[in-house]
Formats: sequence, C-alpha cells, structure tokens
Amino acid sequence: MRKLVVVGAISSLAGLAVLLPVLRRGSAQQPPAADSLAAPRLSVSDSGSLKGPRQPIFFRHDIHAGQFKMQCQYCHYSVGASSEPGIPSLQTCMGCHQVISGADSSHKVEIRKLRQFWTDSADATKPSLQWVRIHAVARHVHFPHMQHIKAMGPNACQTCHGDVARMPQVFKVNNVNNMGFCVSCHLARGVNRDCTACHY
Amino acid sequence: MTVRPVITRDQESGESGNQDSNPDSLIPGSADPLSRRRFLKVLGITGAGTAALGGCSTGKIEKLIPYLVQSEDQVPGIPTWYASTCTECPAGCGLHVKTREARAIKLEGNPAHPVNAGTLCQRGQAGLQGLYNPGRITGPLQKQRGVLQSLLWEEAIIRLAQEFQNVRGRIAVISGAGPGSFDDLLADWTAALGGRLIRYQPFDRAPERAANLRVFGLDELPLYDFAQARYLVSFGADFLETWGPVIEQQRGFAQSHGFHERSMARHVYVGPRMDLTGMNADEWHPLLPGSEAVLALGMASVILSERTSAPQDANVLAPTLAEYSPERVARDTGMTPDAIRKLAREFISATPSLAVAGGIAAQHRGAVDLCAAVALLNYVAGNLGQTVRFGAGLPRTDGYGALQELIAAMNAGEIGAVLIHEANPAYTLPKSAKFVEALAKVPFKVSTALFPDETTAACDLLLPGHHALERWDDLRPRAGVFGLMQPVMTPVFDTLPTGDVLLRAAKKVPDLATRFAAPTFEAHLKQKWGELARTRGAGDAEQFWREALQRGGLYGEAPAALPTVRLAANFPSSPASGLPTFDGEGEFVLLPVPSSMYFDGRGANRPWLLENPDPVTKITWGSWIELNPESARRLDVREGEIVRVVSPHGALEAPVYVYPGVRPDVVAIPLGLGHTEYGEYAKGLGVNPLDLLAAADGNGFFPYAATRVRLEKTLGYHKLAKTEGNPRQLGRHIAEAMPLTHAEKGYSVEESLKQVGVEEHEVNTEREREAIAGFRTEQLEKVALGAYAEEHPRWGMVIDLAKCTGCSACVTACYAENNIPWVGYDNVLRGREMSWLRIERYFEGGTEPGEPFAARVVPMLCQHCENAPCEPVCPVYAAYHTADGLNGQIYNRCVGTRYCSNNCPYKVRYFNWFPFAKRAFQAPLDLQLNPEVTVRARGVMEKCTFCVQRIRGAQHQARLEDRPLRDGDVLTACQQACPSGAIVFGNVKDPESRVVKAREDHREYHVLEELNVRPSVTYLAKVLA
Repeated sequence: MRKLVVVGAISSLAGLAVLLPVLRRGSAQQPPAADSLAAPRLSVSDSGSLKGPRQPIFFRHDIHAGQFKMQCQYCHYSVGASSEPGIPSLQTCMGCHQVISGADSSHKVEIRKLRQFWTDSADATKPSLQWVRIHAVARHVHFPHMQHIKAMGPNACQTCHGDVARMPQVFKVNNVNNMGFCVSCHLARGVNRDCTACHY
Repeated sequence: MTVRPVITRDQESGESGNQDSNPDSLIPGSADPLSRRRFLKVLGITGAGTAALGGCSTGKIEKLIPYLVQSEDQVPGIPTWYASTCTECPAGCGLHVKTREARAIKLEGNPAHPVNAGTLCQRGQAGLQGLYNPGRITGPLQKQRGVLQSLLWEEAIIRLAQEFQNVRGRIAVISGAGPGSFDDLLADWTAALGGRLIRYQPFDRAPERAANLRVFGLDELPLYDFAQARYLVSFGADFLETWGPVIEQQRGFAQSHGFHERSMARHVYVGPRMDLTGMNADEWHPLLPGSEAVLALGMASVILSERTSAPQDANVLAPTLAEYSPERVARDTGMTPDAIRKLAREFISATPSLAVAGGIAAQHRGAVDLCAAVALLNYVAGNLGQTVRFGAGLPRTDGYGALQELIAAMNAGEIGAVLIHEANPAYTLPKSAKFVEALAKVPFKVSTALFPDETTAACDLLLPGHHALERWDDLRPRAGVFGLMQPVMTPVFDTLPTGDVLLRAAKKVPDLATRFAAPTFEAHLKQKWGELARTRGAGDAEQFWREALQRGGLYGEAPAALPTVRLAANFPSSPASGLPTFDGEGEFVLLPVPSSMYFDGRGANRPWLLENPDPVTKITWGSWIELNPESARRLDVREGEIVRVVSPHGALEAPVYVYPGVRPDVVAIPLGLGHTEYGEYAKGLGVNPLDLLAAADGNGFFPYAATRVRLEKTLGYHKLAKTEGNPRQLGRHIAEAMPLTHAEKGYSVEESLKQVGVEEHEVNTEREREAIAGFRTEQLEKVALGAYAEEHPRWGMVIDLAKCTGCSACVTACYAENNIPWVGYDNVLRGREMSWLRIERYFEGGTEPGEPFAARVVPMLCQHCENAPCEPVCPVYAAYHTADGLNGQIYNRCVGTRYCSNNCPYKVRYFNWFPFAKRAFQAPLDLQLNPEVTVRARGVMEKCTFCVQRIRGAQHQARLEDRPLRDGDVLTACQQACPSGAIVFGNVKDPESRVVKAREDHREYHVLEELNVRPSVTYLAKVLA
C-alpha cells in the first residue's frame, strides 16, 4: 500500500527537485550535488570494469541508496518480516521511473531499458528482466533475514552485504555462503551456534 | 502384477551429472511444461531459489526474476493461507491451504469446520498430489480417428455445444460432484438441454437409506454421534476408513473410546474380516457374511424382552422379534446364546449406546435387511435422537439402479451424448455391467476428468477441469454447512473449470444464452452467495461473501435432531428376509474391501497413498488376497504365492497375504487398484476385485460382497512389499496395553503386567543399574556445560495409544511437511522406505484355535533420546544433541556411514540409498516441496526432526513479537493432522504445558525403556475395555 501512496504522490508532483524530499521522507533538504555521497558519473560501458557481475540494467545502488539515501527496505520490503528480503517488483521501479527519466544520457539509457521491460511484460514472447543473483546461501541453510534485522537494526544490511550504498555495481564483499563467515560473527556476539539454528 | 520401476545405479549415475549442471529443476527450461509467464505467476521470485532439488549451488549463475506487480497477499518467505473445502471424498471437510510464493505446499484441516475440526485424513492431504500430478491432462483434447489431438478451448466448447444441441433430449450426465452451486447449475443445464442427470458415488450408502425408509419412513441418512456413545457395535461399518465422514467419526470415537477420567466406551466389531475399525474394537465377532442382521435382531429381541423402558410402539415388534431368540440366532451366527445375551445386556446397560451398519464390505444382498435390523436395534435401545440423529441433510446420490437404467438406455441407442464429470464409472462399475460397451454405442462422449482414466479412454472430447484448489466452487456436505472453495494458485495446466465450460457452452445455444447469463462460474457463484446473504439477512452481501471466504464457508449450528422418529406405520411384519444368497459355487465368499488409502480408486495415482502402508496388512504398492492361516494351510499356499481367484464372472491373480483376521471361509481383496489407465503410478498396479463380481440385480444398490469364488494355485510368486519387520511383539513390550480394570485403579504399566502375570521388562542387573546411575551423573554434568547450561525449552511428545487408531493420516502429513520422497515397490521390498513416522502394527493372539485375535498399533518415530545411541557413533557429528533436547541430524555434515542407523534401537533413521527425491518430485510434483525443509541428496541419513522448521519458525515469530514462546505455538505436522488428537507436543520444562500434563499419567511408558536411552517420546498404554 505504501508504494501506491508514493506513486500517487509522485504523479501529483511535477519535477525531480520537488520529488526528492518525498523519497527521502523528510530528511534534511540538501541539494544532491552538495551531498558527499554523490555518485560518480558512469555509463554502462564502464560496468565491465567494475567489480561484480554485469546486470541486465546497470542499476546504480550508489545513486539510489547512496546519493538519494533511500532506505534499503523501500525496495527490499520484506526483510524485516520474512526470511526472504524480497526484490522489488517492476511496478515498484516504475512507481518512480514513470516520472523520473534520468539526469543524463547514461541514466536515460538504463531507465529506458527498464521501461522497455515494463512494456514488454504484456508480451509473453519477450524476455523478462532477470537479475543476476549475487548473494545466495546453499539450500541446506536457512538464513532468516528478519531475525538479523530485528537483532541488529534496519541498517544492518552492510554487515554482510558491504557498503552497497557506495557500489555502482553490487559485488560480493563477503562470501555469505561460507559458514565460517556466519560463525565468526555469531561467536563474537555470543549468539546461538546450534547447528539446527540454520540447518534443517 | 507389474513391478514398479526402480532407480538403477546406471540411471542414477547417468543423471548425477545432470543434477550438478542443472540442479534447479524449477527454473523454466526447455523440458519444463510450465511456460515462462506462468512460472512468473506461480513462483514469484524466491521459489526459484529456495525449494529446488540439488545440493550446494555455488559456482553457477542464478537468476532472480522480479514480480511484475507485487501481489498484496504474497510476501516471499511467508506462507499465505487460504480456506477451502476438500473434495477427495463426499464428507466435505474444511481445508486450510498453505501456500508459499503462490503455490500450494500443504493441506491442513480448518479448525472452524464442524466436520473435521482442524484435522485431515491421508486422502485429503494427498489432494496435493492430485493437483500436481504429472499424469494430469494438460489441456482440451479431442479424439480424431482414434488419436487424441489438442484443440483450443473455444473450439472445444463450440463442439460441445453443437453436439449436445444436435441430440437435445437424448443427453445423459453422470456427475460425482457433491451438492452445491455447481451441482445446481449442472442440474439446470442438463434439464435445459433435456437430459438426465445421474449423481453417482461408487461408495454409495443406498442400503442404509432404503433401510431407514423401511423402518422409519425416512429416505435419508442420519448422523451418528460417536462421541456420546458409551457402547458401540459396528456391523461391518468401517467408520474409521471409508464409511461416512471418517474424520468426524474418528474424533468422536477417540472421545468416547479413548481413556478419560478412568472410563471409556466399549467397542464391538461384527464382521467376517477385521479391518482397521475391527482392529480398534475390544471384541471381534467374525460372523458369516450375511448373518449380521440376525445377530442385530437377536440383540433387539433380548432387549425388548428384558427391558421395560423401550419406546412404547416398539412393543408391536415383540411378536416378530420373538422369532429371533438367542438360541435361534446362535444357530445362524455360530455365536453362543450366552454371548448374544451378554452383548445385548451390555449394549442396553450403557446409555446412550450406538449400533452402526453399512460399509462396502458388508454390502451383500441382505444389506438393506442388515441396516434395517440395526436401525431397529438402535430404536429399541432408545438411541434415536441421542446418538442417531436424523435431519442432517447428508448428500444423496442416485445409486446403482439409475446407472443400470442408463446402461440399458445407452444400449438401446436412446442416448445421443454423455457428459461425465468427476466420475470414473468405467472403473468403479464391475466389468460385467458392460458400461464401456454401452458407452461405445453413444455417438458423443465428453469427460471433464483431470486425469486420463478408464472412462476418458472411451471419450471423444476431454475438457479437463480445474482441481478443487484452482477453482471457485462451493459444497454443502450437510444441512447448515456451506463450504467454499477458492483458487489458491494459478492453474498448473491449461484447464478450465467445468462450471465455466457449462456457462460458455450454454451461450452457444440460442435459447439458453439468457438463462445462463453469468459470464463465469465465479460470477454465478457470487450471485448465489448474494442470494444466500439475503436469506440470511446479511445487510452487506460483499462483506458476507468476504467473511465466508475467509472462514472457509458458512458453518451454521448442527441441525437439531428431528423431534420424534417413530416406526413406519407400514413396517413389514418380518424385518429380515432370511440369509442373503451369493453367486457361484466356490468355497470362499469374496469380500472386496474398501481401502482407506485408495478409496473408490481415485487415490491410486498418488504415491503418498501408494506408499502409505495399508493400516491392517502394512502392504504397499500392490494388491493382495487375504486368506486365513487355516485356509492357507489347507490350500498349501504361503504369503506371496500368487493364487488365481475364479468367480462365475471372471478371474484374477494376486499374491496371498495370510491374515488371521479373516474368516476361514472368506477371502478379502482391497478395492481401488488394478487400473488400466489413470497415469503412470496407478496403471497396471494390482488387481481390481470388481472384475469378479456380477453386474447384480437392480435392487437400487450394488452388492459388493455377493460372490463366491474358488482359489487355484499357480506357480507364481510376488513378494509383498510390507513395511513391517515381525507382525508379533515377541515380548519386546513395544505396544503396551492394560485391561480397563487396571486402568480404572490407576495402575502403572509395570503393575498391570505384574498383575496379569506377564514377565516384567528385562530387569537390569545390579551392575547395570550402577552403570546407569553413573552415566546419569555424567550426563547431568555435561548438561551444565556450554550452550546446554542456558535456558532452553526441552521438546517432548506424548502419544496416547488409547486414542491412536492407526489410521495413518500422520504419516502422509509427515511426508508432505518434510519433503520425504517415496521410494517405490522395489525399494520398500529392500526396507528402504523413508517414512520418518510409521505406524507399527502388532498382532496379539489368534495363533491357537479359540484364542481371540487382536491387534495393537504404535506410531514409531525418532524418540529424540536424551541419551541417544546414534550420536556418539557419528564420526562427523552430523547426529548430535541440540541444547533444546532435539536429536539433530545435519544433512550437510552427514557422510553416510550409516553407523547411527545401525546403533538406533528403534530403527527410525532412513538412508538415501539413491537420489529418491529426484524421482519422487518430478515436475510438477516439485512445486509441492516445502521450502523450509532441505531436500536430501543421495548418501545422506535423515529422520524425524520433531518438525524443527516449525519450532524455529515459531521461535522466530515469537522473537519478532518480543514475547516468549507459548504452549501450542509449535504443532508438529503429525500432531496437527491427527483426527484422534492422540499426539501432544510441547516444552516439557514448562510445568503448565499440555505435554507435561499428558505425561503425568499412570499409563505412561517408554518403548525399550530398559536400554536407558531416555526417549523424549512418551507413550500412554492402550486400554482394553
């Protein structure tokens, strides 16, 4: 529902400058250019030289989560309630990008790709958007995201996923599919290390 | 008998490379019948990642496919529940369907539903394997020059409308749908086209209705209140298996026959074969088939002559009942006059009592006489209005007579087109009825079956309907109960609800278009519910509909019993017309036994039911012929030898199972197998005893048990795939029982055993006791170390054997919850079945002539021993003890030494000798997999986990809500499913928990207690009334 509210709000507003405070949910009004987190100018041709797999859309976590300071949970909406963090539906993307077309040509190209996927979704013969999965644990492991958010707060994501807000292209900082990585943290914090906490 | 396919080592090694390269069979690929778009709809994003087969997934590229539009009621990782109604038998139980990422993964009972009150039988749970059955018809088909070819739905509907319009007035519809909006629509539609509608259920209860019409002038079925009855006599009615609403009856039976407050009801079973219902009786009288009615009349006679408080008008019966003196009854039945008097006196001294009759195995030619005699018995005992309640509005079907008329009409060429819906008469009618031959004479035959079965094989147009979990529908299983069904997921295949087919076809017929105006069946249904809302005085129809949908329907109060039911005025002077006759000259009476797994044959394509052992014989994957040991000795046959059963109407061959629970002059063969179609699992498996039966006389019902057969030895042998080790306890004290006299006094199991002079448990020597004490001290020291010293719950379970009937609903629940693969005939034969929870059945007595024969059951699962023998022998710590008292099994650690299984005294550990899961969860059955449970790979040991995923899930939820775990937050799958409520699970450290209360019972014992393994599962001994 929250998304719909936001969509409604967006459609009633005219430009990016007016929109930004809405997305930041009333955070301090600073012009994006003055933000220390201003994302570098990159185009899709640079993505090959960046770390991490190339994605079907050169989606910039550094712009969304970094420069615009969007909450992770805005898109990964079920992370606090479910074992699965959830990835945003195309509708969520389009909620903003119906209006926002990008600041420069490199952005415009990528947003056009997104809109193409959205238009193509009516046509079963066209390919759908398929992100390359970066973080995955083996299937005999049950990682409850919500417990970790509950215990460590809503900004705990970077503990495992690294500082995504500064990544133009997301890459694996920690090998989350390595039990040593999990256990070292559980050891340090003195929390449950029983096998059946994760393996069942 | 066809041997089931088995995974061989060649196949396995051929496939294993494939497993690594494409372990994710859920990802849409070339071989997948699901289209990409449907995949999106069905799975959403996380289904692809969480529940797929295969092991570690590192080193390969996985894709995440986002939803286009996020569904508001789907959150990845969190199950969504929908209320629905079960259609696996006519009982109409309420369902709660658990869905994850928009696919149904488990069926549970709806606690608000008056019939099943939150539990569900094995057949209901296996409905999921109907939904995801790989044998389903994937789209509309028509037969052209003998070959089935696909066509578009619109073409199919046009063809249906045209063909039916051409033969208006000469149409027949056979429907197995229960009463509800669809049935009403079908009746209207058929009438509008000038056809006849035959409502057909193979397991009809026509004889009971006929009997009630004869005795009380009421052509209906009563509801029986098993919970109130203090004395129960069943004359062949298998009320725990297939007769009536079995879950409701089992719940009532557990209430009355379970041991509560130092008392319990007594249950007597009368019938030639001890079935599951008979196994749960305290007394079994194996009468000659057909003589049960005489016994019921004899009991009524004794009651009437000795009791003054019988209903006034019952005295008119006195002259006729006087004929049935105990002496005469003794002559006909083979019981002693004293036993008959004793039975009658016990029956009348317990108020209220209850006698029931019916059931397929007791459906001989005298079935109406039998049911009438039992109705009389209930009448003279004053049970009407008490435990026998008329006015329940149970559904009625048209019975066998109507089908016989239809067959005659088809043969006479009077029928131009047939529509068959949710029925398989080509299988469920005996071959001698020549239904298939008659059907062939009909020019145009349409079927809406989901599966290719014997009937669809003869049809010209197949319009596969939606599964009950995919469509809108409702069901009125009894007065005051309106069960709703709603689509819980996108249809798996290109099917169409038959309601939509009817409505769309009607629009192609000019004069019907206005009469059937609703665009879809969903709209039609909502309109009907709008009318219902008005009659109920609900102001807001939309709100009424939403609330009903959320609850699963409209569950009114049970209708009050009709105030007075009196004997019919024209009650015949002679209540029974003598002993029934049997066809043929053979020395054995053939009992076709309804199976609690396959029902009328519809369960035969579900591996969960095929591998769930028959509760009585423990046989899986195939048919058998039950033969008394005496007859087997005389014929010189042993178990597994194939004999030929010959009747005047046919012959069949199947292996022998020697069973002391069947009379020496009777052979029993289970119904439901021997399909010639019906998908890869059912086709060619077992035999169908209907092949031996006569088409029978048209007295309104089909007499199943009306044939005599002879047996011929053959040279064949087919080993029966039984899951039991030894049918006898051999003094191991696994399934304990104590007489009621001891239980009343509060004796412990040991005291009771001492009283009856049975040797005590194997006594430990003094040195052993010292060692045990020393070990205990050592254990206590260990418990004070590390994580174990912290505050944790400790999980325990109590199983009440006085309530457990052995119905095996829990077994299927365990399969469904824990992604347990079925293994097939060959592997069961080698003892490789994976059933984490099995029902062990032990025979008692019956070895010498005159010794009463009985059986006991005990659910056997991992006992989660505190002092587990499996743990110290594991070289890799895969088997270990958790701090909350579980006996953990870590699959990814397991290297498959199988030491743990060797050391387990209960034999509850199961090894994946082959990649069983790959075959068991072939697409689309894999959509059923529970994402919360790892699918085990080859070479891994597995066992009952006490549903650790449910425990952890409940703990997570409690932590999210900042509250402690409450008693009842965790229900194991078996506990949740148990219709008897025999299983209690909880934290034994919480003194207020139900499990602790249940453990404080004098009947408590542990299986193999002398081993000092300290099991967490406590059993309460059965009580023998």
